[in-house]
Amino acid sequence: MTAPDTVDATLRALLADVLGLGEARAAALTDDSGLFGALPEFDSMAVATVLTEMEDRLGIIIDDDEIDGEIFETYGNLLAFSLRKVTD
Amino acid sequence: MPLPTPEHILRIAPTGTQRATLLFVPPLFEEANRTRRTLVLAMRALARHGLAAVLPDLPGQNESLVPLAQTDLHRWQEALAEVSATLDGPVIIASLRGGALIDHRASAAAWWRLAPIGGASLLRTLMRARVAADREAGVTSSLDSLQAEAATAPLLLAGNLLSPAMMGQLGSAAVEPVAPLRTVTLGSGADAIAGTPLWLRAEPGEDGAMAEAIAADIAAWSQTCGIS
Repeated sequence: MTAPDTVDATLRALLADVLGLGEARAAALTDDSGLFGALPEFDSMAVATVLTEMEDRLGIIIDDDEIDGEIFETYGNLLAFSLRKVTD
Repeated sequence: MPLPTPEHILRIAPTGTQRATLLFVPPLFEEANRTRRTLVLAMRALARHGLAAVLPDLPGQNESLVPLAQTDLHRWQEALAEVSATLDGPVIIASLRGGALIDHRASAAAWWRLAPIGGASLLRTLMRARVAADREAGVTSSLDSLQAEAATAPLLLAGNLLSPAMMGQLGSAAVEPVAPLRTVTLGSGADAIAGTPLWLRAEPGEDGAMAEAIAADIAAWSQTCGIS
């Protein structure tokens, strides 16, 4: 099982890789930071890439029907979803 | 019937004698655009190591006139075999990501692969991008509904119109054994290269240090294989 702080760090590194945020911007993300619709880099292709990388790096499988728009609204939502998946 | 237009091949050669020719196989689809700049920087760095390098367009990709829907992985494998046969040897094939799925049918003295990925994973990401775009447009689709649609007609995935043959081949494509082969990943350690996974990046970037590291690793591998 992946520890919560590891999930947080993995997720930030992943978003930095996919969105080209740089370490400082990735580290500054808070629970309320907007993602899809707020960051111009976060388009539908980026959503898809993030999902596949989450599966690879967190060792989880994400089903089609688990994904709704809300998961990608904020960093906090994405982190909560990831933590739920790794503890399942 | 008119002859097919030959595909464009980008070639960078050292000024003096060349020890060998690198045949670069780019990543597939959008990942090729995201990595092209750094790949070409690596080709320039290789020239300083005395190695020539070519980066061919796959039919249906980059500047090719062939419609993407008319190609599939088998055709790409054939195209690379044809390019390889025209090169001044010895030939070393260097593939990135999905390029490693199509590099085994060409003949070469050695192979080098960076961060190879299975076809199913590539396809899943493309299909998810379509589902996400559909959701934004108020259309409901799923991986299953798209898969069913793709069985009989070309399917548009993230700007790529893919034929049923391409979809089927991608879904089951895995890297094939070749020898001698060196496989490297991104990261640190003996079988890794330090750098950024530019192929994941939403907007194109470049990594000059990674390009130098790619060139140095390939040059060392060519010497290990006795190509000097």
